[in-house]
Amino acid sequence: MIETEDENTEKKTQAEQSDGPMIRVLGLHKKFEDFEALRGIDLDVLPQQVVVVVGPSGSGKSTMLRCINGLEQATRGQIFIEGIDITHHATDINEVRQKVGMVFQSFNLFPHLTALKNVTLAPIKVRGMDQDEASEKALKLLEKVGLSDKADAYPAHLSGGQQQRVAIARSLAMDPDVMLFDEVTSALDPELVKEVLDTMQDLAREGMTMVVVTHEMGFAKEVGSRLIFMDEGIVVEDGDPEQVFTNPQHPRTQEFFSKILSHI
Amino acid sequence: MGIAGLTFLPVIGAILAIVFAARAKKQILTSDLEGMGLAKAGRTLGIIGIVIPALALILFLLRDNVRAFIDEFFDLEIMKESWSFLLRGLVVTLELALVSEACILVLGLIVALIRISRIKVFRFIAAVYIDVIRGMPLLLQIIIIYFGLSYLGLNLSRFTAGVLALTICYAAYEAEIFRAGIESIHKGQMEAARSLGMTYLQSMRFVVLPQAVRRVIPPLSNEFIALLKDTALVSVIGLGEMMLRARELMGTKASVTPLVVAAFFYLMITIPLMRLVQVMEKRLSKGD
Ligand SMILES: Nc1ncnc2c1ncn2[C@@H]1O[C@H](COP(=O)(O)OP(=O)(O)O)[C@@H](O)[C@H]1O
Ligand SMILES: [Mg+2]
Repeated sequence: MIETEDENTEKKTQAEQSDGPMIRVLGLHKKFEDFEALRGIDLDVLPQQVVVVVGPSGSGKSTMLRCINGLEQATRGQIFIEGIDITHHATDINEVRQKVGMVFQSFNLFPHLTALKNVTLAPIKVRGMDQDEASEKALKLLEKVGLSDKADAYPAHLSGGQQQRVAIARSLAMDPDVMLFDEVTSALDPELVKEVLDTMQDLAREGMTMVVVTHEMGFAKEVGSRLIFMDEGIVVEDGDPEQVFTNPQHPRTQEFFSKILSHI
Repeated sequence: MGIAGLTFLPVIGAILAIVFAARAKKQILTSDLEGMGLAKAGRTLGIIGIVIPALALILFLLRDNVRAFIDEFFDLEIMKESWSFLLRGLVVTLELALVSEACILVLGLIVALIRISRIKVFRFIAAVYIDVIRGMPLLLQIIIIYFGLSYLGLNLSRFTAGVLALTICYAAYEAEIFRAGIESIHKGQMEAARSLGMTYLQSMRFVVLPQAVRRVIPPLSNEFIALLKDTALVSVIGLGEMMLRARELMGTKASVTPLVVAAFFYLMITIPLMRLVQVMEKRLSKGD
């Protein structure tokens, strides 16, 4: 499913082939006023990889994800999505965003719309899909996340876990090639975490390329194909989850894991 | 003096009642709630016994003035003669308010969007417009627009000039309300919409504005009530809305009664609107 024909082949740089990385981040810097949140990130995410990102609060994990889908503008460096440089001024960021789904810690469902309308809004307005087709597709997606019976419910009447699953369905409705998850279970009551993680695991099994910021180490080990540890705006460690987890190389990684492990 | 003298009798009784009540209060125990209550009741009755005769006395002494007041303000004959003429003025007032409000909503929203746009020059221009307009009396703006435009060779009808002036003025206020409403929507909403590939304007239109509009309906309704009253200022350029007609009648009938009728008509519209706004505000605060 990843190797679909791309209409934008001509936009791709010659170095990029269709089997190249899904996301390529080169020397990414991000400065807020005088604070440097990202200080040179290099990262390749290959198709179907599930990259788990961990790191202390304030290390720049959210900022990196937000740069990858253009919610923040890179101060320096380049970001390629399927070979298209999104930091280039001529790139239509709206088009690229359709390929990059993002799920937020705070769900951000549209409270004035039902679950179904949350899912159909973008396909209808952006893709010009007609109402019936969009609804049919949305129902399938809601079924996939286990919420077909909640199609007509407003977000205020859904639990946090249900809202987050609707948010995932909403992103999937644009047929993204990559999904970014930013601490999507952090705001949830403990008993609701699993239903969301299960949904993400299903997605991973289907071959979705994912970048997942999370502190759920179980998920990292079981689903992650790679684990990245970030601190103070750089990638400190990058490797197989099990390995990084049991045998961290960098002292800061060791410290971080010993801290969070003592809490579990 | 005969009748007036009679009022002294109950007043003397009332003063005695207050004195006795005060004494009783001193002598009974503070723990005796019933006794305290009675003492207080005695004092209250005593005070009433003074106030009512005093008021009666004043009304009596001023009886000619009171009669003159009622004749001047509530002359039934003049009411009968003026209500239909004023009612036709009220229609003009309502037309003026409604047409203006429609234009104000459009212009106000556009100015709000410019005010929060990412282009600095646009933001600046919108901010200057808002400040300049809000810093001037509406009356002055109406006169400037009507006479200014006619000097420029643009002969607008009085109605059009009135709509134009009210729109330019009120849009500045309503732009600020729209802006506050838009800014009250969590920025995660815009980001979620953008991350789905919607453009800024699509996100604004389908995600942010529908939520913001719900929140600003009560303050916008209050603005509409203020606008309805401010249409009276357009009488200064000779538009025959209700205020101008009331003043005309005041001259021809040599009576204030037409103004009272006009006041009644304004209240008939504004009081239900004010109640409606309260109901909406309650609903919204529950809904959140
Ligand atoms: N819009 C912003 N303006 C200023 N500073 C910001 C902004 N967003 C993030 N930061 C700062 O950048 C750093 C990294 O933040 P973030 O990416 O949210 O970290 P994480 O997600 O790893 O907790 C933090 O110190 C944060 O205060
Ligand atoms: Mg974060």
